[in-house]
Amino acid sequence: MSDERDPPDLAAEYALGVLGGAELAEARRRAAADPEFALSVARWRGRLAPLGDGVDAAEPPHALWQRIDAATAARDNVVVLRRRLNLWRGAAAGMTALAATLAAVLVIEPRSAPVSVERPARPPMVAMLSDEQKQMRVVASWNPEARQLILAVAGDMPHDPAHAHEVWIIPPDGKPRSLGTMGRPRVHMQLADALAVLMENGATIAISAEPPGGSRTGAPTGPMLVSGELTRA
Amino acid sequence: MRSQLAAGPGSLIFRFDRGWGMDRAMERPVTELRSSDELAALIGAVAAGDRAAFRAVYERTSAKLYGICLRLLGSEAEAEDVLQEAYVTVWRNARRFDSAKASAITWLAVIARNKAIDRLRRRRPVADGLEAAAEVPDEGPLATAVIEQKDDARRLAHCLDELDERARAMIRAAFLDGASYPELAEREGVPLGTMKSWIRRGLMRLKGCLER
Repeated sequence: MSDERDPPDLAAEYALGVLGGAELAEARRRAAADPEFALSVARWRGRLAPLGDGVDAAEPPHALWQRIDAATAARDNVVVLRRRLNLWRGAAAGMTALAATLAAVLVIEPRSAPVSVERPARPPMVAMLSDEQKQMRVVASWNPEARQLILAVAGDMPHDPAHAHEVWIIPPDGKPRSLGTMGRPRVHMQLADALAVLMENGATIAISAEPPGGSRTGAPTGPMLVSGELTRA
Repeated sequence: MRSQLAAGPGSLIFRFDRGWGMDRAMERPVTELRSSDELAALIGAVAAGDRAAFRAVYERTSAKLYGICLRLLGSEAEAEDVLQEAYVTVWRNARRFDSAKASAITWLAVIARNKAIDRLRRRRPVADGLEAAAEVPDEGPLATAVIEQKDDARRLAHCLDELDERARAMIRAAFLDGASYPELAEREGVPLGTMKSWIRRGLMRLKGCLER
């Protein structure tokens, strides 16, 4: 029996979840680029969903809601902040337009170029996190405008279900603040205001091994796996 | 934020107010509110940024979703991480939920299952290298899309019955245990090509039957 005699329905296989490696990457690419393929996947998900109806329910631990609440509240704050900023920018742009109209009515030549209402964009920053043996490396890039921190493992990050990889920002005061745990080789973190202000030149980003779910004390308790200094890109 | 939700024709109208509304809602017997229309309405409120509705969605559905994650991952710590990822996705993608296309609980279950499968596939990144795994693209705006037909459950049961025993067992195992092609082949002691062939034929027959 060969693969050729049974042409694959990649959408079905993807929805079922049997793909791995290159085939999985291909399915993801097509799902992102080909709406028809994505719809076929969506249809298969609906068809297969009843297979899971008999799975036993289980109560998650109470503390989990707090984690989810915190994770989504942080995102929420960023969105609200961005909306406020946009509102403010919009209002400022409106005022500029009004001023321009008045200027035109009064036939007054503006003496200088219109003043930009936007703050100059702050440059992104990067940190190369590594251990002494340079076996595990993590690239951190910080976008201050989006308040987004992206961490990507480049090298070996051993699968270690017994520990969580917790990310820390260590500002010049030397006191580590948790940014959350890294559950996959590439994560996007949206930082709350209070943490975003710590992401400054010379601050250190580090990753430590902690109990599942992260440090219970709020400070690193396990060994530091990698660390690196944040610098302007 | 204050939102009023009409939970569908004939059903009660209820309201979530930030702060106190959540507590009041949670005092009610769970069964009274457990209807698909109301869950769909709650997700609509989540899409509008209603955190009390988000908590209510979590309270009602987390046991089912955690059960799915636990079954697939077999580890409480990983199931917790994945459940967190799933609800963060729900919070961010609630506006993409379309109650005309799928029931709310199916949509939620698919998100949880997809996250758990992602985690399973990342456990053994050795074959393709971790960097390759990290480069796997996101699926885009349709990542959480689910389309259900009205009698999907009944038709699936009927069409699974039409498959041969082996294909049926493998499709079930793939879905419930999150086993990949190579894992299923190893489990059954058959070559990878044979396993792919069994499942592909099974899926093809399933499709033919479902579309009849």
